[in-house]
Amino acid sequence: MLWKTGFAGRKVETGRRQPICMSVSTAVVLAAGEGTRLRPLTRNRPKPMLPAANRPILEHVFDALVDAGMDELVCVVGYKHDRVQDHFGPSYRDVPVQYVRQHKQLGSGHALLQARAAVDGPPLVVNGDRLIESSMVEAVAEGFERHGSSAALAVLEHPDAGQYGAVVLQNDELTEIIEKPTTGEYRLINAGIYAFDAGIFDEIADTPRSAGELALTDTIARLAERGQVRGVRCEGMWVDATYPWDLLTVARTVLARGKVDVPERDERVWVHGDARVHEDATLRPPVVVGPDSEIGPGAVVGPDVALGYNVTVGANVTVERTVLDADARVDAGSVLVDTVTGQDVDVGAGSVVPGGQADVRVGNEVFEDQRLGAVLADRVTAEGDVSFDPGTLVGPSAHLHTGAHARGQIPDGAEVMR
Amino acid sequence: MCGIIGCAGRDGETLDVLVHGLSKLEYRGYDSAGVALAGSDLDVCKTAGEIDELRAALEERSPSGSVGIGHTRWSTHGPPTDENAHPHLDCNREVAVVHNGIIENYQELRDELSTAGHEFRSDTDTEVVPHLIEDALADGADPEDAVRQAVARLEGSYAVCVVMSGVDRIFAARNDSPLVLGVDGEARSASESASGDEPRAAYYLASDVPAFRDHTDRVVYLADGEFAVVDADGYRVTTLDGEPVEKTEDTVDWDPEETGKSGYDHFMLKEIHEQPRALRQCFRGRVDELSGTVDLADLGDLSPRGVQLVACGTSYHAAVYAAQLFQQAGIPAQAFLASEYATSPPPIGDALVIGVTQSGETADTLSALREARRRGARTLAVTNTVGSTVARECDHAMYIRAGPEIGVAATKTFSSQIAALNLLSLAITSVGDSREVISGLRDLPGAVQEILDTSTAQEIAETYRDAESYFFIGRGLHYPVALEGALKMKEITYKHAEGFAAGELKHGPLALVTSDTPVFAVVTGDDEQATKTVGNVKEVEARDAPVVAVTDGASDVERYADHVLEVPDTHRRVAAVVANVQLQLVAYHTADMLGRSIDKPRNLAKSVTVE
Repeated sequence: MLWKTGFAGRKVETGRRQPICMSVSTAVVLAAGEGTRLRPLTRNRPKPMLPAANRPILEHVFDALVDAGMDELVCVVGYKHDRVQDHFGPSYRDVPVQYVRQHKQLGSGHALLQARAAVDGPPLVVNGDRLIESSMVEAVAEGFERHGSSAALAVLEHPDAGQYGAVVLQNDELTEIIEKPTTGEYRLINAGIYAFDAGIFDEIADTPRSAGELALTDTIARLAERGQVRGVRCEGMWVDATYPWDLLTVARTVLARGKVDVPERDERVWVHGDARVHEDATLRPPVVVGPDSEIGPGAVVGPDVALGYNVTVGANVTVERTVLDADARVDAGSVLVDTVTGQDVDVGAGSVVPGGQADVRVGNEVFEDQRLGAVLADRVTAEGDVSFDPGTLVGPSAHLHTGAHARGQIPDGAEVMR
Repeated sequence: MCGIIGCAGRDGETLDVLVHGLSKLEYRGYDSAGVALAGSDLDVCKTAGEIDELRAALEERSPSGSVGIGHTRWSTHGPPTDENAHPHLDCNREVAVVHNGIIENYQELRDELSTAGHEFRSDTDTEVVPHLIEDALADGADPEDAVRQAVARLEGSYAVCVVMSGVDRIFAARNDSPLVLGVDGEARSASESASGDEPRAAYYLASDVPAFRDHTDRVVYLADGEFAVVDADGYRVTTLDGEPVEKTEDTVDWDPEETGKSGYDHFMLKEIHEQPRALRQCFRGRVDELSGTVDLADLGDLSPRGVQLVACGTSYHAAVYAAQLFQQAGIPAQAFLASEYATSPPPIGDALVIGVTQSGETADTLSALREARRRGARTLAVTNTVGSTVARECDHAMYIRAGPEIGVAATKTFSSQIAALNLLSLAITSVGDSREVISGLRDLPGAVQEILDTSTAQEIAETYRDAESYFFIGRGLHYPVALEGALKMKEITYKHAEGFAAGELKHGPLALVTSDTPVFAVVTGDDEQATKTVGNVKEVEARDAPVVAVTDGASDVERYADHVLEVPDTHRRVAAVVANVQLQLVAYHTADMLGRSIDKPRNLAKSVTVE
């Protein structure tokens, strides 16, 4: 280690809080999985890189960790790993980020095992695909430190415990952990924030694989049998996106909580200093406009709208309850309501997504009465005057010709003529 | 071409700081390295080879000292050997010198010193400096004056740093070679020192900011003919004659960690992937799509009647591209190789002379620009490096904002140069609405990302990794892409590669084309240029050469191609950038499969500060 010149020099104060617990200061972030239920948005990037309002979910996770005093981040990447590396580079808010590859996605335990060589001391471990708060991270680190168990995990009350990993506690000791229980008796869930002692890696290695995969929860269940897992009750924001339209709810939550990294121009109107908003455009709060974006005259943007970076909203466009990701372009006179776009989407002049409720079909499943205008995956081109029925899902690089009418599921790269 | 580092005020950490700094400067040269630490003694360690060799040598002993200097070398005088590695010493081993540049009168000085009985241990030009200092000291000069006297005798280019046994100071001077001072903390006053409650202060000297950027973001750029004395208590800058010079501090805003590879195997691949972001930064605040305007107000009113571009290597290819843009806008423009321009310049008239250089320190380009200035021309620098020599010497500077580029093979800076030159041509030439072009420029980051997401370049590289030669053809704005594609291939695979104007192939090079020479043809759009290039592709195909078409699919070139590297449909002015990204990836993957030293190819250095 002689040549690791780790001294930081005169560091600028970043407003980071002092770590509550010195012994847990390295966080391992699991960001290797695709998140298949979010297809087609995950064609070019993993779920943690999908937008929570104007920036990736993972950036919010990193914020929570840095705010909680973590001074080293180890990010396990796999599916489309370059997108994570390109976005964050070697550090985030002055905290070094090290990347570890999970070449095959063989479960969360397997993912954590890949980080073994990059971690000294007890790791804090989080899922990279859900919005969490720094207070939860602090609580888990503190609970782990104070009680000297092998593991601690954050526990939340959640109305849909059956959707997640449900847990049962007895006097703060975890006694049961069940993935997606079918019975309705559970009300606590595993929030996906853990602290482990360094023995966790051996424990994972000793855990039998099930169907070829190593789930971290299987290892936790083994530790729980030995009474070595502490449940730390937390509350606060915890948001998961399961399906593409959930990104609208995620954006709304982020905006409602003001978890935005650009300056607030008016109340709940956040506009990046490098964005251009025409003086005759209207921004209706809450709304966030990312760097290098342009909004033309007569456009009405908001409420509940997030524009990522380099987004162009043309003259007289109306955008409501919508997430427009990086490099998207919406030409004059278009209307987008309840819409989620991927990156580099091009919506030609006069196109209309009226929004509203619809039954959304994904594969063989039908989700009834979802509020969804349309999902346009990366690089969808709608030439102009294209109309979208509520609940339309358009696959990556699909091309909708002038005057086309889009409905239902449109596959990757499809050409849709009028 | 070398890199220098110096450090005062870090006491026990001096050696770590030096070696860390050298590792950040390795892009400037890496065939030998060394350090000298001074306090009560002078302790020197130097070796041939990369910095790891120096680290290995330092494992056995850990020199210490309150001040120190270090050097990473790229050979100009004498082969890379332990003896030729810097620092160089005087006969008494009490003065140590590191140097970047070329001392033109060294032979004369060396003869003089040898005659006077000095013993030389190396073949370098640098070694005259410690011996000159030794003489001045022997004549009774104090250490500072001795260095001044020695430097005054040098002709040529130099950035030098000097330490001496028993002196807690670094002496530094520059002329025509880069040298930057880093400032961390306030200088201590006597009362603070007495109170024992000392704020820590440290000072650094380096050829380039990344060498000390982990420690401080406050820098003072030294100018030619300036002399600096640095110790733990502060720094003092004077002219070589001792006249005090008032210096101002700048703050650099680079992310210190940007020098890491962020999980990639090579800086080159990381930098290829950084292109969408680099392009956005280049456009930031400069384009307004809604009004169709480009704002480069900080350049003032240029309105040239003609343009001459001077550049080297990859930057020259960007210059060839830009010359066409200016010509299309009705402004006479030509691109010149800077090394040729410097010695046989054309008539300049009232043309604006634009120097394109990533580092801003490229000696050939600086020399060409100086020649242009000497002839009364207005000059403009297009560079990536704020505060670089070119930016300070030219009348105007435009920054491409690509962020630091570490890989020796230029990638993202080529794209950003083309982006910046596009803005420049619009700002200089446009009358009225450039909305369509600006819209095309703003679509560029997304188009590059599409290539990064979808490229099949790795398969092409796998198919043709064993070819004996590679040819690249293009026409119009794609001609410089052909040149650049070939240069990238040469630089990092060490294979023969040539780029040609598509129409030129039949005038000679076609004789080289065989079934073992893949030809990469860059064809976008479906205009007359594209049609003609497709004709050239047929000539190649008829000679059984494998054809890889880099195309947006608008023409029928795919019919004659064995493979296609797809690029998105973009504005014709930016198609060159997206096509080039495909060729960057082909070169990268080919070199990777061949196991080449991708970030530091043999015989090459990142910024070439010798002519």
